[in-house]
Amino acid sequence: MTELSVSEALRAALDEELARDERVYVAGEDVGSFGGNFGETRSLQEKYGETRVRDTPLSEVGIAGHALGAAVGGLRPVAELQFADFAATAGDEMINQIPKMGYISGGQFSVPLTVLAPSGAGIRSGAQHSQSVHAWMGSQPGFVVVTLTTPYDAKGLLKSAIRDDNPVFVLPHKNLMGKRGEVPDEEYTLPLGEAAVEREGDDVTVVATQQLFYRAIEAAERLAGEIDVEVVNPRTFAPLDTETIRASVRKTGRLVAVDETPLRYGTQSHIVSEVTTNDFFSLDAPPQTVGVADTPIPFSPPLEDEVIPGTDGIVDAIRDTF
Amino acid sequence: MVHETTASLEDCSAGTIETLLEEMIRIRAFDEAALDQFRDGDVPGFLHLCHGHEASHAGMGTAMEPDDWLAVGGSRLHGQYLVKGVPMREAMAEIYGKATGSNHGKGGSMHLADHERHLYGHAATIGSGQNPAAGLALAQQMRETGNVVVSTIGDGGTSRGSFHTALVFAATWNLPVVYVIENNGFAISYDAGNLPADELSAYGEPLGIPTASVDGMDPVAIHEAVSAAVERARSGGGPTVIESRVVRMRGHFEGDKQQYREDPDAAAGEAHDPLASFRDRLQDRGYLTDAEYEARYADAESTAADAVAYARESEFPEPATAYEDVYVRPLYGQEGTDGGEER
Repeated sequence: MTELSVSEALRAALDEELARDERVYVAGEDVGSFGGNFGETRSLQEKYGETRVRDTPLSEVGIAGHALGAAVGGLRPVAELQFADFAATAGDEMINQIPKMGYISGGQFSVPLTVLAPSGAGIRSGAQHSQSVHAWMGSQPGFVVVTLTTPYDAKGLLKSAIRDDNPVFVLPHKNLMGKRGEVPDEEYTLPLGEAAVEREGDDVTVVATQQLFYRAIEAAERLAGEIDVEVVNPRTFAPLDTETIRASVRKTGRLVAVDETPLRYGTQSHIVSEVTTNDFFSLDAPPQTVGVADTPIPFSPPLEDEVIPGTDGIVDAIRDTF
Repeated sequence: MVHETTASLEDCSAGTIETLLEEMIRIRAFDEAALDQFRDGDVPGFLHLCHGHEASHAGMGTAMEPDDWLAVGGSRLHGQYLVKGVPMREAMAEIYGKATGSNHGKGGSMHLADHERHLYGHAATIGSGQNPAAGLALAQQMRETGNVVVSTIGDGGTSRGSFHTALVFAATWNLPVVYVIENNGFAISYDAGNLPADELSAYGEPLGIPTASVDGMDPVAIHEAVSAAVERARSGGGPTVIESRVVRMRGHFEGDKQQYREDPDAAAGEAHDPLASFRDRLQDRGYLTDAEYEARYADAESTAADAVAYARESEFPEPATAYEDVYVRPLYGQEGTDGGEER
């Protein structure tokens, strides 16, 4: 085991996949000598050259759109958007084109591309650089949408995304790029579409990823001895592994869905709906949801901190299920 | 910068003339058959016909090798599918939404795709196919296949930023791609004459991309221009932008009353018909008799009628197939198929 940061784990995954498969290439703004906004592509261009690690002109439309054609044409692009918010500036490509081309071709085309884009709030970057987009991108059937939480996740899931034959949208969190954790020294991948039970507990299930995962763990530790909290990390939000979540709720009888997407039409509602529809009689109390208030993400630190759920809010929500 | 070609029949091989005529006739016969069926109420959705674009489609299609990719765009598509080699039966069945269509009914007339024949299905949001075309070209360049990508768009699509982005990427990376703008003068009703550029190929000029603006009603002219661009792309010379000036002989879609046109009937007349004018040229030069033309047309009509019968008799897809092809299953790392469909 080696301790790596999330951005180091991403770089290790890219490095290994570039070495493993010559069809893989990385394209995006500043991915070359600049090394990526968070250092995630540092030194890769030196190692693999300008063809395999290619700086692009400044256009998300071009980055996402060309990657679609390249994937149909037999390559495995890793298209980097500097911020996940920019999925909207490439909205036609990200929503109308990429997730639908395999389907409308009647299964003739496969689109094995990865879009890598840091998401989430907390680095004081304002409303257009702080969004969690996995709810609105997750509602596009055809896209696999993955959130990264630990350095272990980051490396294993990015490697799987690159190897998968679907378009995969991979979302590390901006505020976790420096987060460090143990990563195996030997080669490994993590399955897409499968949630992980990260902390076992008997009394209540909390579903959380990215920075709110760590706050959920803090909440669980704060309640230890009083309430035994199980924490599930969905890893893949679309398609969502509802079975693992439902199995946990069948065990605990209680559910708190925590996510950094806005509460209105957010992922929290979908998770709760899956459980109440299918396992209503397993529930001992109404499920609770924790998310961003229905506002854009504000810039000023106290305002931003106000709208992003904190550990206290998760503790309160857990208590509300009793 | 090339602005006009001087296409002449005498410079064209007999084989090319033969193929151009054959493809134009096939396209017209196919669309006439589709129109008849649409009038009978058998064809679902909108119907956009190619009348007036036949020479352009035939000219570009015959300039490509079978392994070159065609990334179709614009709204007039049937002729592009046929000239890329999609059998009439498969194309017609897809327009009907039948299981025997090339996309098994998932695509329809705007999304017909044929991976084996290197036909990229239309993006259908106009102007969104040009960046994927650049990516397809990048794949040819990086994989060193020697293949070229031809990508089509209408005059309307050139106003989308995505089109201009694609030109930037193609020029920056010197990609083997040919962008053909079929300028028929209208984006549904919007008059392309209002656009400031006299020749829409001029959009390539600030990027240093070679351009040409040619008479797309002359199949020899478009064939020569696209052939030269394909050859340049294949030899590493990078992208080209070509304007193919055509006439949209019918409305945007069937049922379009064309109030925006002063005289819709004039546009539909023989004076603007590329098939009639090519026929006349060939007859004037002694390449073709009237009887030979009629016999060829009758043959194509018969093939189109067979395609209609095939499409009509084919089954609709099983409703359950609506859930197939959303994801390639299993996802990476999963065991089993997770209840999904493998493809």
